[in-house]
Amino acid sequence: MKVLATYSIKGGVGKTTSAVNLAREAAAAGSRVLVWDLDPQGAATFFFRIKPKVKGGTQRLVGAKGDLVDHVRASDIGGLHVIPADFSLRHLDLHLDGTKRPTERLASLLAGVDGRYDVALLDCPPSISLASESVFGAADFLLVPVIPTTLSSRTLYQLSEFLAGQQSPPALLPYFSMVDGRKRLHRDVMEAVRSEWPDLLTTVVPNASVIERMGPERAPVAAYAPASAAARTFASLWAEVAARLWS
Amino acid sequence: MTSVFVPGPVAPEPVALLRSLAGAGFEVGPARSVERTLLDTFDGRLHAAGIRLELRTDAGTRLIVHDAGPATAWTPVGAMPSVAGDLPAGPLQDRLAPLLDVRALMPTIGVAARVSSAVRRDAEGKAEVAFAVHDQLKLASGDPIAGPWAIELESFEGYPKAARQAARLLSSLGLTRRDAGLLDAVAEDAGVDLRGFVDSPTVALEPSDGALDAFRRVLANLAATIEANWHGTVADVDTEFLHDLRVAVRRTRSLLSHGRGVLPAGERDHFGAEFRWLGTVTSPPRDMDVYLIEWPTYVASLDEASRRALAPVVDHLAHRRKAEHDTLIGHLGSDRYRALMTAWLAWLDAPLPGGPLPKRATKPLGAVVADRLVDAQDRLLTRGRAIGPATPAEELHELRKDAKRLRYLLECFGGMLPAALSKPFVQRLKALQANLGEHQDTEVHTAQLTAMAHELQDAPGVTTDTLVAIGRLTELFDRRRLAAREEFAARFADYDTKQTARSLAELLNAARP
Repeated sequence: MKVLATYSIKGGVGKTTSAVNLAREAAAAGSRVLVWDLDPQGAATFFFRIKPKVKGGTQRLVGAKGDLVDHVRASDIGGLHVIPADFSLRHLDLHLDGTKRPTERLASLLAGVDGRYDVALLDCPPSISLASESVFGAADFLLVPVIPTTLSSRTLYQLSEFLAGQQSPPALLPYFSMVDGRKRLHRDVMEAVRSEWPDLLTTVVPNASVIERMGPERAPVAAYAPASAAARTFASLWAEVAARLWS
Repeated sequence: MTSVFVPGPVAPEPVALLRSLAGAGFEVGPARSVERTLLDTFDGRLHAAGIRLELRTDAGTRLIVHDAGPATAWTPVGAMPSVAGDLPAGPLQDRLAPLLDVRALMPTIGVAARVSSAVRRDAEGKAEVAFAVHDQLKLASGDPIAGPWAIELESFEGYPKAARQAARLLSSLGLTRRDAGLLDAVAEDAGVDLRGFVDSPTVALEPSDGALDAFRRVLANLAATIEANWHGTVADVDTEFLHDLRVAVRRTRSLLSHGRGVLPAGERDHFGAEFRWLGTVTSPPRDMDVYLIEWPTYVASLDEASRRALAPVVDHLAHRRKAEHDTLIGHLGSDRYRALMTAWLAWLDAPLPGGPLPKRATKPLGAVVADRLVDAQDRLLTRGRAIGPATPAEELHELRKDAKRLRYLLECFGGMLPAALSKPFVQRLKALQANLGEHQDTEVHTAQLTAMAHELQDAPGVTTDTLVAIGRLTELFDRRRLAAREEFAARFADYDTKQTARSLAELLNAARP
C-alpha cells in the first residue's frame, strides 16, 4: 500500500479538493483507495457525503486499541473508502501525544489496513504539529499544492527545509493549484518555482468555477462534470503521481 | 460486497418488486442493458486465488476485481484484456500479473440482462445499500437460465445495519439468498466449473489395484489432458496449452515404457511410436516459445546497446515461432493425429482385453510401481556415478531422461503414494533435474545461437553489432553451461545419499501392499 498525504503548512491552497479528486482518479484507475480525513473541518468527509462522525472519538481512533477497520465507510465511488473526520480531531495532537511513539502512530495504524487497499490518501489540516510529524512518518509521498503566490510558495521552501532535518522523510510532490493564468504574478511565480524544483509535477490545477461546484454537488468533479477540463486535469495529475508511485 | 437473491414461488415480478422498493424509500433508476463476463485462465488461477475478474459493459466497459477484501477495484477498459500485459498498469496489474504469469484470460461465464438499480440513501444523500435487479437474465450465448431474474444486493462497508434490513426486506418479499455471487450462481446452474481445468497427472489409486486397469486409468487421465489442451494449442491462446499437452505426451510415453509386462506389447509398440511422433512434432514450436518467454532473462545481463542490437534476432525468433506453430497446427489437424487419439481413447475406454494378458497385468499396482521405481533409480544412479569430468555431454542428457522417467513414475502414480513420503524425495530429484536442465538448455541455446548467427549473417537489418551481440549472448550461455557442468558432481552427490535411499525405501514400503 502506498501512503500519500495532501499537505501544506498553509490553508486554503486546495489540499482537500486535490485529495478528493485524486482519490476518485486513483479508484478509476484500478486502485483500492482509502481516504483518511484528518482535518477536523471534515471537508473531504463532506464531499463524499459521509456523516462526520468518528466512532468513539479521536481517542478511540488513534489510541492504543485503535483499529482503522472499525472506522471505514464506503463512498459512493466503487473501490474508494473513507475514514471520516469530525470535530474531535481538533485534539489529534493531544491524543497522539498520549501514545507510546506518537510520530509513528499513524504509520502503525495504517499498517493494519495494508493489503486491503493499494493507496491510502491522508487529507491533512494546515499546520506543522505533532500530527504533521506523524503524517510524515507514515507517508511515502507528500502531495503539496502550491498557489503561485509569494506566501504559498514560501511555505513549500519552509516544508522542504523542515523535512531535510528529518530521518527518512517522505518524498515531496509539489504542484501548482488554483492557478489563474491571466495573472502576471501567477505566471512569474510559477516560472521562478519551476526553475528551482525540476521535479515539480507538470499538471497545473486551475482556479475554475467547475471545481468550486464540488461544494453544492458534494462529489468529485468527475462525478458531475466528467468531460470538463478540470476533470481531465485531475486525471492527468493522478497519472503523473501514479507514474512516480509505481515507477 | 454483493450477495444474490433469487425469486421463490411467491415472489412478485421484477416490475412489482421495484414498485415496492420505491414505496419503501428506495431511489429506483431506469433499466439498462448490461453484459457481465467472468474472466479467468484455462486452469482457473484467479478462482483459486479467491479473485473474480469481471468485464462489465453497460454505458461503457469496466474491468472489476472482486476479492475477499472490503474494496472492489474497477477501471474502464477499451477491450477485453487477453494477457497480464493488457491489464491497466498499476496496482491492479501488479496484483493479477503474478497469478496469470504467461496464461491468457478467457471468458468462463457470461450473462446479459436488463438491470434496474434501487438505492437507499441516508440523510447525507449517501448510498447505504443498493439492489441491482437483473431481469430477462440469460447466458451470453443466448441460452435461457433456470431462474429468469435475480437481485444482487450490494452492501457498503460501514453500513451493516442497512444491509441486514435490505436482506430481511427481500426475504419478506419471497426471495431466497444464494451463497454465491450472481455470476458464480449462474455458472453453478449452467454446470460451468469455475475451478477451470485441473491438470493433475494422477488419479485416485490404491496399491492393491490391478496394474493394467490402473495404468489405463492414469493413461486415460493423461489423454484427457492432451485433448483438453488441443484447442488452446491450435488456437494459440497461450503457450501453456502446448506446454501442458507436451508434458502429458511425455508422461504417456514414459508410462508406456514403464508398462512393459503390464500393457499388451502390440499396443505399447504402436502407441509408443505414435506418441513419439507427437512429441517430436511439438518440440520445435515449444523451443521457440521458451526462447521468446525467457528472452528478457537471457539478455538481462547484457548492456543496453547489445540488447538493442539483438532486435533482429527477436524478430527472427518470432518469425520462426510463427512458422513452427503453423506447421504444428497442420500436425494437430492431421488424420494421423485424429487416428491416434481416436484409437487411443477407444482402447483406454474398452473393456479389459480378453485372452492371455501380459504376465504382470493383474499383479497389484503397488508391487509393479515399486519394482519400476527400483529399476528407474538404479539406472539413474549407475549412469550418474559413471559420469566424470571428461564424460561426453550426451551422457548427462541421458541422465536427464532417466531422472524424468523416475519423476513421471512418482507423479503419475502419486495417487497411491503418501504425499508426506513422495514430496521430500521429489524435492531431491528436482534439485538434480534443475542442474541437468540448465546444462542441457544452455548447450542447446549455444548451438542454436551459433547456427542463427550463420543464418542471419546476410539478413536485412542485421549489422555487425547484431552478430557481435549474438556472440556475447552465446558466450554467456556457454559460461552457464560450463558452470552447470562443474556443479554437476556436487548436485549428484547431494542426490546420491543414504537419505535418498532411505526416502525411496519408505516409498517402496508404502507402495507394496
